[in-house]
Amino acid sequence: MDQCRRARVTTAVLNRLSLVAVLCVAALAFLWWTPAHAQDEPVLPLQSSLAPDTACRLCHGDTEAHATLASGEVLTATVDLPALAMSVHGASAAQPVYCTDCHQDRRRYRYPHEPNPAETVEQFRSEVAGNCQQCHDPADMHNPGHLQHLENRDVPNCVDCHGGHTVAPAAVMQADPVGTCQGCHQSYDDPKVESVHAEIVANLEPGQTCETCHAGQAQPVDAKCQTCHSLLTRQLTLESGETVDLHVHASDIYTSVHGLRTLDGQQYQPLQCTDCHKSQVFNGFPHLELDATTRREVTIELEGVCTGCHEEIAQRNHDGIHAKAIAEGNLDAATCADCHGNHAIQDPDQPRERVSQTCGKCHSTINDQYATSVHGAALLGEDNADVPVCTDCHGVHDIGDPTTTAFRLKSPELCGKCHADRAKMAKYDISTDVFSTYVADFHGTTVELFEKQHPDQETNKAVCYDCHGVHNILPVSDENSQVIKQNLLVTCQKCHPDATANFPDAWTSHFKPSLQNNPLVYLVDLFYAILIPFTVGGFLLFIGTDIFRTIWDRVRRRKQNNP
Amino acid sequence: MTQHPKNAWYLRFNQWQRLEHITLIVSFTVLAVTGLPQKYSSQAWASTMIGGMGGIEATRLIHHAAAVILLIGTIYHFTAVSYKIFVKRVAMTMLPSFQDAKDGLQNLAYNVGIAKRLPQMGRYTFGEKVEYWAVVWGTVIMAITGFMLWNPIATTTVLPGQFIPAAKAAHGGEALLAVLSILTWHVYNVHLKHFNKSMFTGKLERHAMEAEHPLELAAFEAGVRRPEPDAVTLRQRMRVFVPVAAVLSVALLVGLYFFVTYEQTAITTVLTQKTEIFTPLTPTAQPVP
Repeated sequence: MDQCRRARVTTAVLNRLSLVAVLCVAALAFLWWTPAHAQDEPVLPLQSSLAPDTACRLCHGDTEAHATLASGEVLTATVDLPALAMSVHGASAAQPVYCTDCHQDRRRYRYPHEPNPAETVEQFRSEVAGNCQQCHDPADMHNPGHLQHLENRDVPNCVDCHGGHTVAPAAVMQADPVGTCQGCHQSYDDPKVESVHAEIVANLEPGQTCETCHAGQAQPVDAKCQTCHSLLTRQLTLESGETVDLHVHASDIYTSVHGLRTLDGQQYQPLQCTDCHKSQVFNGFPHLELDATTRREVTIELEGVCTGCHEEIAQRNHDGIHAKAIAEGNLDAATCADCHGNHAIQDPDQPRERVSQTCGKCHSTINDQYATSVHGAALLGEDNADVPVCTDCHGVHDIGDPTTTAFRLKSPELCGKCHADRAKMAKYDISTDVFSTYVADFHGTTVELFEKQHPDQETNKAVCYDCHGVHNILPVSDENSQVIKQNLLVTCQKCHPDATANFPDAWTSHFKPSLQNNPLVYLVDLFYAILIPFTVGGFLLFIGTDIFRTIWDRVRRRKQNNP
Repeated sequence: MTQHPKNAWYLRFNQWQRLEHITLIVSFTVLAVTGLPQKYSSQAWASTMIGGMGGIEATRLIHHAAAVILLIGTIYHFTAVSYKIFVKRVAMTMLPSFQDAKDGLQNLAYNVGIAKRLPQMGRYTFGEKVEYWAVVWGTVIMAITGFMLWNPIATTTVLPGQFIPAAKAAHGGEALLAVLSILTWHVYNVHLKHFNKSMFTGKLERHAMEAEHPLELAAFEAGVRRPEPDAVTLRQRMRVFVPVAAVLSVALLVGLYFFVTYEQTAITTVLTQKTEIFTPLTPTAQPVP
């Protein structure tokens, strides 16, 4: 019984509610089609061909009404209809765009409008901008840099950049991309960043925009470095007043030895900026201040960037004369970059004369001498592969001090390395006896013994370069050669000041004694080569017969005693 | 012939001669030990020896010192022999003669069974004369070539330069010849054949005298003695000899002093060549950091 009664009551309530609902819909429909107030313009008859936002336009195209938001900001109700018509959402749009496409939640925009819940203009704009994605999709491919900072309340929305009713074609914005962005980004907290940015913006090349740097995806650090430093032309002024050019040809690295390369069958990717510039100073922007106060200090400090990978070379270099000089305070001494360069590093010995040019940058006088020497002329003139370049004698990285006793004592072997090499010397018709004849002589004997026994003890006996010259060695056919006959006495007198005209002949001129060269020596040698075996052989022969006779006698005596 | 006990001794060398010999042993050995490694300096053994002697400069210094001792000994010998010849007027038994050649050949013939008996020899056998004159010849050659090597600038003011390396070749060749001769001839004859100690004791046993110096022994036993000049004659001769020998000896010693100190062959410092090292190209090429 109760159940029946309850069902009847429910049905009655629902019937009543349905009636209320129908009345409400009718009332709303009436309100929708009713103008807000009496208009100057004639009321347009309701036609199906009318745009759904005709009413909005009629009203907002010509009003000076405004609303004051909770923030106190004034939100004007005026819409510049001609401008809207000119915008991409205007007459030229592929499909009509109605006011309510953007100003959604129709209920709120029905008249009389409900008070807008937005407390600030920005909120109002955000709400509108939220509707752009209804048509413009996907939005996450757009407005990239900003979307990375979604949690930031100040992130701009579509409207902030593209405008509201006057939304411009993309082409217009792209024509002045910097101007577009600078609508917001006009100032920086760090003045250093501002000035750098201003320079970069000013130097942007055709096709480069803010997005070149501020791209959609997070840019690799390397790309950031390269973009920035390839656009920078400024000079960093150090404390000393010297300047450092901050411009970097980013492409240099790709064509350098640090570019794409294959070593020992393994493929290496080009080095990234931060592979070398690891320090906090360079990593991150804005960079920290450099400690260095002079250009030289900058170069020397940057040596550290090489040693991370080239450990073995760094260790050897540490033992070298340049590193020692720097340690002793001579900052002129070469570091990695002085010889190898920096971003555009190429093979240091290709072609070979590059070595001489590299050393010549600091040792120009010596290099000038070398260039006129028999070795240097062959290198520079004909790219001769046999003549020594600087590094062949002085070494690389662990370059020794050539003024030490050890170097002096070792030097004949250094020269002998090539000059006793038959295959190499045969090409130039140079005798390979030079080393052996030197060692056979008083000077060479002494030097070699010192080298073996007391490599740290000084001897003043002549080594190759004392007579032939050091970097200025000339061929023995040259009239200025220090060792040709007419110049030899002067050369000898450097060590033997009292020497007279005959004295230089005391030197066998690297010739093995023969009937043609040093015949007297040859004959004396020959004399003893005959006399010694003859005499000693004679002695031994006699002794032999004597021993024979002694044994013979003894045997005979024994036989006589024991017949 | 009177009978002599089997163990009789005969004085062969007086103490001065023995001292000379010891001086010669010392100087010759030192010269050989310090000299041959220099001749063969590129050999490992030679290098080791030179190292053991304190390096090449020390080796040369020792060599030079021994050379001076040898030359002082030589000057002494020259004076002592002069005394014997001019004052004592003893027979010059060390002079080689045709008989020595014959003796040598006979000895060789005997050894191979051709000759019936050994040659009968006097105070100095042909073998001893070979040794003596080899030392004389060797010392002259070594002293002359040694002087040339020690004073090459002085030498080349008179002689062509090539004499210096030639002198070096001769010095080395002669050294080798001398050392090999000592190791063969000398060692065999006075150490191996029988150990002849007379150069140290001064005395030679009778049986050795019989075997090696039968003529001297015979003369000795026949009462032949060296003629001693009488006191007056001796004084007369000495009056001439002493000043002449003194002057000559002093002259030779002064010569030796010059030998050693005649010239300063080379500078004592290391030859230096000055070159400006840091001469950067301008503008200085600087890497861009």
